[in-house]
Amino acid sequence: MKKAENVALCGVMISLALVLSYMERLIPLQMVIPLPGIKLGLANIVTLVSLYFLGSKQAWAILLIRCILGAVFGGGISGLLFSVGGSILALTVMSAAKKVSCFSIFGVSILGAAAHNIGQIFMAVILMKSIYISGYLPYLLVIALFTGFATGSAAAGILRVLIKMPMGIKIKESN
Amino acid sequence: MKETLRLSFRKGDLWAIVLVILLALLTVGLWGRKVVSDTAGTVQIYQNNQCIMEYSLFQDALIPVEGEYHNIIQISGGKVAIVESNCPGEDCVHSGWIKSPGRSLVCLPNKVEVRLVGKEDEVDFIVR
Repeated sequence: MKKAENVALCGVMISLALVLSYMERLIPLQMVIPLPGIKLGLANIVTLVSLYFLGSKQAWAILLIRCILGAVFGGGISGLLFSVGGSILALTVMSAAKKVSCFSIFGVSILGAAAHNIGQIFMAVILMKSIYISGYLPYLLVIALFTGFATGSAAAGILRVLIKMPMGIKIKESN
Repeated sequence: MKETLRLSFRKGDLWAIVLVILLALLTVGLWGRKVVSDTAGTVQIYQNNQCIMEYSLFQDALIPVEGEYHNIIQISGGKVAIVESNCPGEDCVHSGWIKSPGRSLVCLPNKVEVRLVGKEDEVDFIVR
């Protein structure tokens, strides 16, 4: 891939992630399941697609810029700390899990969703100096199974289309 | 060099699911007992990690909390909720009413935490 293509794709991914995390706030998941920090993790679809399609270096760049811009556009500094804590752990786990041959994108996504919750709760415990918040972790982990599966299948669908595009990319799907 | 991607669900993914379930059970085991004890009696309101107010759960009250944002906490009939907030997202309001000890309501933007504790203070440990 040419450098310009690479930069352009990263830009598209960052804006996609920002729009998705904004749209996510409009979905009142808390109304159905009242837990703090619960969300669908739509922006994780972008992280997964960048990790699989562009590589881990680009995925890290996209993730960090997205977190910073997300804070600028409305999350604020405490929002930044939480999203950074969750996202960094999630991407670390996902890029490690991607290398494990027994996991498909589904396993990677589920582990990433769980890691995101653990990272977020960890940050919350540190910032609020209260172990009480960790009482939510078991519930969040169970929900992460479902949200992780959903984002994994969304990312798989996108990637199947993307790798067939004539962009000079040498990636194919394994059986 | 051709890279291959594993995009279909595999048997190995079940291990990821098992791992997450185990983690969930482990965290229940670790903290479930410590955090959840007998009947709640006291509502503690924390802001910036400091307990700023303490109320009985059985005396109805409407408590405004100022800060970067504005929360209104309501105690009513042995339950407590953050009923109003102008924070972005309003996760705290959507969390609804709580009544069990060890449960807490959190408004991260306003750095407010509403904790329910037992009749005597049952805090086992606080992470510093």
